[in-house]
Amino acid sequence: MTATALPAEPKLQRPPAERRYASELEKLAAEDESPRPPGWALSLQAARTFIVGDESRGISRKFVGDPSLIDRALVTLATNRGLMLVGEPGTAKSLLSELIAAAVSGDSTLTIQGGASTTEDQIAYSWNYSLLVSEGPTERALVPAPLLRGMSEGRVVRFEEITRCPLEVQDSLLSPLSDRVLAIPELDGDSMVFAREGFNIIATANTRDRGVNEMSAALKRRFNFETVFPIADFKTELDLVETEAAAALSRSGVPAPPSRDVLEVLVRVFRDLRTGDANSGRPQAVMSTAEAVSVAHAVGIKAWYLRGGTAVAGDIVDCMAGAAAKDNAEDLARLRRYLEQKAPKRKGPHWESLYQARNLLPG
Amino acid sequence: MIERLHVQGVRHHSPACARLVAERIEELRPAAVLIEGPADFNDRLGELALEHELPVAIYSYASTDLAVRRTWAPMCDYSPEWVALAEGRRAGAEVRFIDLPAWHQAFDGVENRYSDAERRYTEATDRLCRAFAVDNVDALWDHLVEVADPEGLADRLDRYFDLVRGEAETADVDTAREAFMAQWIHATLAATDGPVLVVCGGFHAPALRRLVALAATENEDAAPPPLPEPPEGTETGGYLVPYSFKRLDAFAGYQSGMPSPEYYQRLWEAGPEEAAATLVQRITTRLRLRGLHVSTSDLIGARSLTEGLARLRGHERPGRTDLLDGLASALISDDLEQPLPWTRRGLLTAGTHPVVVEMTAALTGERVGRLHPDTPRPPLVDDAEAEMARLRLDGDGPLRLDLAKPKDLERSRVLHCMRLLRLPGVKRDEGPTAGADVQAHEHWTLDSRADRLPVLIESGALGATLGDAAQTVLEQRADAETALDALAAMLFDAALCGRAHLTDRLGAAVESAVDDSGNLGEVGPALATVLALWRHDHLFGTAGSDLYAAVVTACANRLLWLAEGLHAGPGPADHGRLRAMRALRDAVRHAPGLTPPAASVAAAAQRIAIDGQAPPDLRGAALGLAWALGAPANAAEAAAGAADPDRLGDWLAGLFAVAREEVLAEEQGVVSAVDELVADLSEDEFLIALPALRQAFAMFPPRERGLIAERLVAVRGGGDARSLTRKLAVDPVVMAAAMALEARVEAALAREDLVFGGES
Repeated sequence: MTATALPAEPKLQRPPAERRYASELEKLAAEDESPRPPGWALSLQAARTFIVGDESRGISRKFVGDPSLIDRALVTLATNRGLMLVGEPGTAKSLLSELIAAAVSGDSTLTIQGGASTTEDQIAYSWNYSLLVSEGPTERALVPAPLLRGMSEGRVVRFEEITRCPLEVQDSLLSPLSDRVLAIPELDGDSMVFAREGFNIIATANTRDRGVNEMSAALKRRFNFETVFPIADFKTELDLVETEAAAALSRSGVPAPPSRDVLEVLVRVFRDLRTGDANSGRPQAVMSTAEAVSVAHAVGIKAWYLRGGTAVAGDIVDCMAGAAAKDNAEDLARLRRYLEQKAPKRKGPHWESLYQARNLLPG
Repeated sequence: MIERLHVQGVRHHSPACARLVAERIEELRPAAVLIEGPADFNDRLGELALEHELPVAIYSYASTDLAVRRTWAPMCDYSPEWVALAEGRRAGAEVRFIDLPAWHQAFDGVENRYSDAERRYTEATDRLCRAFAVDNVDALWDHLVEVADPEGLADRLDRYFDLVRGEAETADVDTAREAFMAQWIHATLAATDGPVLVVCGGFHAPALRRLVALAATENEDAAPPPLPEPPEGTETGGYLVPYSFKRLDAFAGYQSGMPSPEYYQRLWEAGPEEAAATLVQRITTRLRLRGLHVSTSDLIGARSLTEGLARLRGHERPGRTDLLDGLASALISDDLEQPLPWTRRGLLTAGTHPVVVEMTAALTGERVGRLHPDTPRPPLVDDAEAEMARLRLDGDGPLRLDLAKPKDLERSRVLHCMRLLRLPGVKRDEGPTAGADVQAHEHWTLDSRADRLPVLIESGALGATLGDAAQTVLEQRADAETALDALAAMLFDAALCGRAHLTDRLGAAVESAVDDSGNLGEVGPALATVLALWRHDHLFGTAGSDLYAAVVTACANRLLWLAEGLHAGPGPADHGRLRAMRALRDAVRHAPGLTPPAASVAAAAQRIAIDGQAPPDLRGAALGLAWALGAPANAAEAAAGAADPDRLGDWLAGLFAVAREEVLAEEQGVVSAVDELVADLSEDEFLIALPALRQAFAMFPPRERGLIAERLVAVRGGGDARSLTRKLAVDPVVMAAAMALEARVEAALAREDLVFGGES
């Protein structure tokens, strides 16, 4: 990733996408000749290029997945329906929503983080209570939350993990989505906020949580659903794990990332477990690419700091126990069965080493 | 001379290419049109000129004693090859197929002659997909060709195929075909003085231009290449068969060509707007018939999404994926279990969203081709008639066959093939069935008056001989069937038809069904059946067949996998499960090369045996399995671990089911351990344990039960072994119930102090 460091500012752990890729966005906006939907910072074509990348123009590829998904997502946002990104954890839904918001509105920070305790206050607006007491409900006393700001400024609002919110809280999105209006009954007179062009909502939902089935039909109807899948192509996933793990390791001061052969074993194990099979079932734990990167990171750290060398496939086993099994005994058993029965069938010294290390599994 | 050569590279089944071919013939008025197609069919091109309803296919087969290789060259209205044939004929050109015959080794493993050759060399196409930001080659093709501006298409195609061909190292198979085609072209150029148009897969076009130019400059001999002779002992042939869009769309992987034939048919007939409109209508109808909700506002949403997508992707008119993407976004308000099929390649996978299934089905279509009545009838008809006459099966009435006699076995096989083809007037009354004991006699009833001809002609598409056709039926059933019991029955059918050496596809289908099955009780019988077929069925001539070997391997692996994952509380012994463990034992014993090594199976079994979450019968069976496979197993000790009255019987049932012989071989051991355990049980506990214990010991045949009784008597020091195993007039369970009742009555009496005579 090409983080663009801004001078004279303290270095942020993770600046938002529009700052990380500020120069790319600028370049795209400058060269953009296609018509822009009203309120958009870029045209659809330029927004797509921003996300899927274009080597010839020096735009990096930021999302590894089907380009048609991006097409559908962008076109959806240009219509009057919201965009709902669903998928397993770790499939880069949040990254995708951040990138889309950065491309469409030039701003990805209007974010609502859904959770069991999310209230309407955090979504739409709340009050500055001292002003409310002294002045009554005035615009000055109003504290806009992301939804209100998005509507009044005409920008994309991100709603992360929407299904973790209580249903009645979710339903507060109904009228902003369908009528594009938010009522603030406390204000006298000018109590309706009409959404400006450019406003829309990108929600993400995790299929491992309560799922989208519990969403009200009325709200579902106002979203177009896009399912984000784990990376389909083995090589692509391996490449991604390799670069990301190397980056993470160098941040941790490890100069020698695990060899590609070792990572190949790791990624293969993750993919095999992820697909599971119809009946032995998939693990409860998330076998995402992100998780594979973190296992690769752990493997590299362990090999470098504890043994002073590079990683071998056997190191994967005990690092896997934490990632794949977490605290779930069934997952651990599944992993053990995998190592006992599937690993010896694959050929190569690294698989051999993995098989030999199977006894390192705890329990 | 070379300037008279025009090579038009096409993608098979591409409407845009078909249109281009028609234009080029119109414009060039060529003296000869040379088409990528089986050269051995050249003297029968007249058959293709009849007025068929498309799709039809040129079916070619090459059969040896071991296997039949079958290849189709499917053509539909919008196939460039078909258009080249028809338009070339109309323009008065000499029309020829110039590719190698389908039986040539260059087509080894090829079922679809008109699959995309470039599918095998993906480097360039992957790069192009990235550059144009599309999901896959099909979307790329639509983008560049089908919905793109027809202006300049020929140049664009040339550039595309040059790039795809690039410096790709081609495989020998392509080299052989290209050399053959180039020689044809060279010869035709020498023999005519008009323009020569070559219509071939675009992947071959650059190579053909180069090869022909080379031949021309070096003044090579300009004779047409001789048709190669099929190898000794191989019977080859081909004929036209009706084809269907379903089959056209069903090729997977390297065999596939353009997807969604119904869509491209409409595109060919009426253009993209019409195609999109009719298909939206068809999809809506299908969805509503299935009871899936589609509202008008959904359709409006889909339409605006489709248009938006087309505009974003730079299509002047909406293409296939614009249509599909728009509909999917608008109609599906759920998370998907499987990716949208048009973003990947290949067949639909289980778990595909029902709306998506209907959408793809609508784009596949149901069109079925029909041959002109004058088309030579398929050889199957003659083959069936000849076989029936030769084996005297053309009579009436009952027929009794002794399968141990070779002649009768042959007759039985032919009859079974006819049964599989559902020929009327062929009925089996009795004979061997899957899973049962081997029976060497069969009874049939034949009725020669039944009208078999129409069915035979229809079955002609399935194969040239009864055996081939039956094999196709089995393969097709394998594709459609997922239930394991049906598949096991099918394997038995394969044996009955004498088709043990079925193609890989059937083997793969069975294996994948085994992989999908999550039930030990289902996989077990399949393994037992197949192991039996594999081991000793000399009767069916199946011993040692590869297919059965593959299934044995798949079943054994699957059983082991499932057994180790099975967690359940105590419950009555599950006999399906126990049979499965026994089948696994037999497989490891009798087919050691096909299963995991005995030591690793035994190790897994030992793990199951001590797994507290596994049900008791399975733990017992696992211990038995480890024991039977020679692992050190202390069954007596393990029995003590399973001594709970509500588990003991089930655990023993498992143990006995798998390791009966081992138990008997011990002088002292499990039986005396159980004896001690039972002796320690209280009255109530004994009554709880009794039914399961009885069931467990019923695993032993009477003679062995006698043996156990004798040993017990010996341990106990005296008594009559016979009286222990004598069949009682009253069921012991009834007796136990009576005893329980009696005990309760006595307890009640004692409680109420009503016991008389107890006090003195």
